[in-house]
Amino acid sequence: MELYSPEGLRVDGRRWNELRRFYCRINTHPIVADGSAYVEAGNTKIVCLLNGPHEPTRSQMNTQRGSLDIKLHVSPFSTTERRKSTRNDRRIQELSTILKNTFEQVVILKNYPRTIIEVDVRVLAQDGGLLASCCNAITLALVDAGIALYDYVSAVSAGVFDNQILLDLNRLEEQDLSSVTIGVVGKTKKLSLVLSETRLPQDRLAKVFEVAVNGCHQLKEQMDAQVAKKGREKAITEGLKTNWVP
Amino acid sequence: MTEIISIRKPLNPDADSDVESSDEEMLEASLAPKNNNQSIVTPGELITEDPIWMRGHGTYYLDERTYSSVAGTISKVNKLLSVLPLRGRYQPETGDHVVGRITEVGPKRWKVDIGARQDAVLMLGSVNLPGGVLRRKSESDELQMRNFLKEGDLLNAEVQSIFQDGSASLHTRSLKYGKLRNGYFVKVPSSLIIRQKNHLHELPGSITIIIGVNGYIWISKTLYQKSLSSTTGNNALDSTVSSAGAKGNSYTPGQGSVSITRLEEESSWEIYSDKNEPISVATKDTIARYANCVKALAKCDIGITETRIVAAYEASMVYENAGLLLDEETMRSIGEDVLNRERMRG
Amino acid sequence: MFKIALSPAERSYLHESLSCSSPIRPDARLYKQFRPLEATCSFLPGSNGSARIRMADGAECLASVKAKVVSLQLNNADATQQLQNLIEVDLDINGIRDDSNLSSTIASSLKGSLVKHVPLDKLRLTHRYAFKLFIDIVVLSHSSVYPLTLLSLATYMALKSTKLPLLTSTVDDREIEEQPMFSDDWESSIALFGDSSLSPPLLFVVAVVNDNIFIDPSPEEESVSENGICLTYANGKIISPLQTISLSPKDNTGINAAQILKAHALVKEIGPLVTKSLDEIVSDDSVKTIF
Repeated sequence: MELYSPEGLRVDGRRWNELRRFYCRINTHPIVADGSAYVEAGNTKIVCLLNGPHEPTRSQMNTQRGSLDIKLHVSPFSTTERRKSTRNDRRIQELSTILKNTFEQVVILKNYPRTIIEVDVRVLAQDGGLLASCCNAITLALVDAGIALYDYVSAVSAGVFDNQILLDLNRLEEQDLSSVTIGVVGKTKKLSLVLSETRLPQDRLAKVFEVAVNGCHQLKEQMDAQVAKKGREKAITEGLKTNWVP
Repeated sequence: MTEIISIRKPLNPDADSDVESSDEEMLEASLAPKNNNQSIVTPGELITEDPIWMRGHGTYYLDERTYSSVAGTISKVNKLLSVLPLRGRYQPETGDHVVGRITEVGPKRWKVDIGARQDAVLMLGSVNLPGGVLRRKSESDELQMRNFLKEGDLLNAEVQSIFQDGSASLHTRSLKYGKLRNGYFVKVPSSLIIRQKNHLHELPGSITIIIGVNGYIWISKTLYQKSLSSTTGNNALDSTVSSAGAKGNSYTPGQGSVSITRLEEESSWEIYSDKNEPISVATKDTIARYANCVKALAKCDIGITETRIVAAYEASMVYENAGLLLDEETMRSIGEDVLNRERMRG
Repeated sequence: MFKIALSPAERSYLHESLSCSSPIRPDARLYKQFRPLEATCSFLPGSNGSARIRMADGAECLASVKAKVVSLQLNNADATQQLQNLIEVDLDINGIRDDSNLSSTIASSLKGSLVKHVPLDKLRLTHRYAFKLFIDIVVLSHSSVYPLTLLSLATYMALKSTKLPLLTSTVDDREIEEQPMFSDDWESSIALFGDSSLSPPLLFVVAVVNDNIFIDPSPEEESVSENGICLTYANGKIISPLQTISLSPKDNTGINAAQILKAHALVKEIGPLVTKSLDEIVSDDSVKTIF
């Protein structure tokens, strides 16, 4: 199978700089979580539940700033071939650490001394761009929980096929191409997350980043639109609450 | 819908909302004037470059500009600029009437879950102890703290002060505060509670409700104790109280023989009792119905006030089986009903 | 998360309400009434069947059924044992280690009831090959001590929505060894329970307080209950396993025959209604979003 046809089409019919269908929702689990979000990028599906900031156990207590705990759960049915991961799966731990490091820079943790924020990310289906989608879901859950952030972090992957840059790789592309995942702070060009596990041609690097940053900005807009939409719905009901005085 | 089980698919109000339509929505949002003057800001959004504003909660300052750190609405009070988040944990303020649950008993203090970011603290010195308000606290009090309040116990209290890190210190030094009995606990988002002068109300059907500012709500049987002097023996009260339930009369002459000197102590130990008064089946039924009404208001995102709870309760009478109020559609129609009544009243 | 602390006054209020002759549940439900549920099916494109179910208190469970072609060990004498191994149940309850007592007990209860009520003959493809079903259940959140009803409802729907690809190769692999071939057309796939007279079993937890029984007990009801009974229902009948379970640390009064008979009658009454409601969700494919 050819990953990029002479006509400029990818295996799933996209152009080189086209994102997959992105669908996101916030406040999907209002009862059990302080913040929650659901993200789909193509066929990758992620649920994120966040609890906190709340009282930590003594060992988690930090008097200067809040603690952030991110747990990644990869469901055994999320891959085409069922695969049950062990509790100490190295890859999963590595991804969790990367996410934790990213969000420790973005959440204004100094506002939350002596508390802990616990994030559970649940992967339901994988079709490429796992780390990026997890990152987007966590951002949305944090926003939903009303936790102070400097800005959104939106993330996407990009790869190189035969000198051609491809944005937002699906699983087939991800398997065969060298790629990088980046997370961008808001509408800036500041990268808060970079992970590349394969060789990237050095001369293409600047261009790959440029394309990916652009993709992140598009995703940020879509995420922001969802948050603002939920916010307007809520503001209307809030209005009902406060405008009326007994 | 049967009375046994109701299953529905997840609501999908915007089934056609894919990438294109969300772009349209954005466009629409930027063109249309905000219909309620409350524009939404989101994290990272520039609020002002004017340095005159003091920066409150929900904002941060970078390169002489003020940005929003949460998704919410802008609030400007005098020169204080803050962003009120759409959702978030309860933020205690001094004077708040709250309901809480003991999570830990420590040296000279209890820790209390009030749904805030951190557990609140209740100092041994901030509670009334048996034996009179004015007596000194002794070492023996420290040793028997669990006899007053223990893990799991519910109480209502007032926020006495706020510590630097935002956590609350509580007190129960008033007859209206203290351990809770004779009822049922319901939790709703604290954002739905409006701070009012009074958070303790008597509702039709001999029910007392405490609408904690923190969203913890206690619905209980009304005891006609508070109108009488607190030093009066409790047995006399029981007989007046139990007039609600026909066979609930708990008057037992044997217990009435308390010597005058012990009377005050006996009665004040009563405030830490774990025993409920007799509660009739009818009262329990009413409590369950009120609880479901509160849940219905919360489901509809309607701010919770005493008046609205009563309105919902009246609207709910159409359903003989109050268990049907759990159904989402029924909850919505109760919510509609409550709002319509308000509009009619103007 | 799943331990709820109640004050003694709350406990006695609840226990008294539930144990009297005309019991009042804290949310005013009838003894045979479920809390409202939200459910959806077939949202995982990589699974043969999937379901998600959420209770009014936010407890939520996902179930996936994935079929994999396996070769049968022909020299093995115990054929029934082999067929039973075609079903594997794996449980992941958020906040509980998957090797914990609770997880393994629930997984084996489920598996035990499933092997008898899944049409195993439909899994058999050829002489040498068969489908093996991997049933993965994820509990995203729960507040119950024993979230078996929730798990069972999700598993039921996932199995009911399970479709298997149509076998197209006709070679008798007794003589020629050949991997089975399947049709690429998903339209021609076969529903596992399509024309089967069997139906996936449902496990119901019933809480016992004094002489009263309650279906779908809420966590606070569980915590004041004296006993729990787990009953299995399939095809209009109560089937095995039927077992007593511990719902609260205070379980200490024994159970009597009258209570079991009451629970038996209750499940027999509600079983058909529950399966009907679930089947309606399975057959309604109008909404495809999960959340």
